Amino acid sequence: MAQVLGVLKTPHDLVAAIEQLKGAGFRDLEIYSPVPSHHIEEALDRGPSPIRLLTLIGCLTGVSFAYFMQIWVAYDWPLVIGGKPFASIVAYTIIGFEMNILLGGLFTVLGLMFFGMFMTRKGHDAYQPSFSGDTFGCVVACHGDQVPRAQELLRRVGSTEVRVVES
Amino acid sequence: MAAITEPVPQTADQINDDILRVLEPPTPMYVLMVLFFATLVGCGLVAFLYQTYWGLGVTGLTHPVMWGVYITTFVFWVGIAHAGTLISAILFLFRAKWRNAVNRGAEAMTVFAVLIAAMFPLIHIGRVYKFYFMVPYPNQRGLWPNFKSPLVWDLFAINTYMITSIMFFYVGLIPDLGAARDRVRDWRRYLYRALSLGWRGSSEQWRHWSRTVLHLSGLSTPLVLSVHSVVSWDFATSMVPGWHTTIFAPYFVAGAIFSGIAMVITVLVPVRKAFHLEGYLRKEHFDNMGKLILLTSSVVGYSYGMEYFMAWYSANPYEQMSFWWRGFGYHWTSTWIMISCNVISPLPLWFKWCRTNVAWMWVTSIFINIGMWFERYVIIMTGLSHEYDPAAWGYYVPSVTELTILVASFGLFLTMFTVFLRLAPVIALQEVKELWYEDRASAAGHGGHH
Repeated sequence: MAQVLGVLKTPHDLVAAIEQLKGAGFRDLEIYSPVPSHHIEEALDRGPSPIRLLTLIGCLTGVSFAYFMQIWVAYDWPLVIGGKPFASIVAYTIIGFEMNILLGGLFTVLGLMFFGMFMTRKGHDAYQPSFSGDTFGCVVACHGDQVPRAQELLRRVGSTEVRVVES
Repeated sequence: MAAITEPVPQTADQINDDILRVLEPPTPMYVLMVLFFATLVGCGLVAFLYQTYWGLGVTGLTHPVMWGVYITTFVFWVGIAHAGTLISAILFLFRAKWRNAVNRGAEAMTVFAVLIAAMFPLIHIGRVYKFYFMVPYPNQRGLWPNFKSPLVWDLFAINTYMITSIMFFYVGLIPDLGAARDRVRDWRRYLYRALSLGWRGSSEQWRHWSRTVLHLSGLSTPLVLSVHSVVSWDFATSMVPGWHTTIFAPYFVAGAIFSGIAMVITVLVPVRKAFHLEGYLRKEHFDNMGKLILLTSSVVGYSYGMEYFMAWYSANPYEQMSFWWRGFGYHWTSTWIMISCNVISPLPLWFKWCRTNVAWMWVTSIFINIGMWFERYVIIMTGLSHEYDPAAWGYYVPSVTELTILVASFGLFLTMFTVFLRLAPVIALQEVKELWYEDRASAAGHGGHH
């Protein structure tokens, strides 16, 4: 598989490149962008991030653990006050809420580390420092006979540079 | 109406250059400034060691005032820590785009302020090495902390806020650390390479990053409102006249945002001037922060008035005496400094000319910082010194040790902030660029990003 890189100047050009390439049947695309853009995300149509599930799991784990800890502790060392129940559920809401936020946040960030950093697609080695500055990169993975077509499409949407990158 | 005359960046690369230029090697003046702030920290460290050796007798704390400057300063710094989350999370969810220029500085400030705040309860307990008694851990005596105590709630709230703020700050920083890695050529390149975690701005990375920022914003919004509410319950759940009131939570939260925004202005105005960032920290940003100050100042002013009204309307002699004491007792100066700085000094901000005058905003922000420290001092000191029984009334004067540690906390905050300026972009690079591309796309008729 060869990789063709197109360097573009604006997010609008990048979205146009993605749409043209997908329309021409190219499916294995990678982009590099100095800014986040919902238009780019929508054009790539990769679906929702699994991080939202991790946030939910973190929140539920946090709040469950907090209530369990507080109720268990109340019965482990009972404070007998006027015949009241040992566990005071309403008062425990505060720490339940804080632990809900804490573990929800921790799971979210761990999810980012896992999915965004360690599970990112390997093999697209076309990154160049200007992609964190003022240019956008669009990499197409394709067979050798499709390279001219990919190059032509990338030039058509206004790429300032188009080159074949070795995989 | 004041004319907006700051230069507008012309290219995305210029934005990179302007903002990353701040990371260039420091000037001798900068080094001297850091050394000065670090000296203040050194003085505070000496005072702390002195107190640890001799005990809390070296402070002015004595019956009945057992909370003093340390708890005042703790509440003050927790309040300062609210601005970052407000600007980054709440304004993010409201899609207030002006936040992009100020959010990074505010987030950094939040992290440093909450770290300092977390130290003060430890300093206050005197025997700092007994801190772990608050933490629920299995021990041979089978003892646990009382989870119904607001002090234990506070431990969880402050630590949750600290960890969440650090995560929020760091996640926002990752793309900019990637940009810094691609620009610098000295030893810091290795630091940025490690901290940016291999950031390349790929579609997968942005997809997960955007979702993470959204979720952290959603989690931080109720958190920021809860943290100062929990701090206020340290006071409101006790039976002290002047403390035992239901308005404390919203009153404290508004005060926290008020003081936090003021501190953002206090630190960003010199940064704007020193690093020529007038094109990024623009007058409209100060205008908007001025409006937030006006809003929160009004809430705080209303709360002051309402406290006095309720003291009168309750017909409770203890409550009435406590508030009379606040305004006209031994420490009347503290109360009137509080009212002058927090209610009167922001009043000129009703005029746009004042809000867009950076020097005016800076001076006002310093008055607010002073006023908000005194607000907490007044609540704590006058409340405790004048409770129910006249035989138990007392007086409190902070000692030199306490005041040295107070000044050192400002030194530590400024040391951390000035060091941060040279280590990471003080303005969120990718967010400013995102807005810049959006404006350009709108101008070209392509429609903005949402």
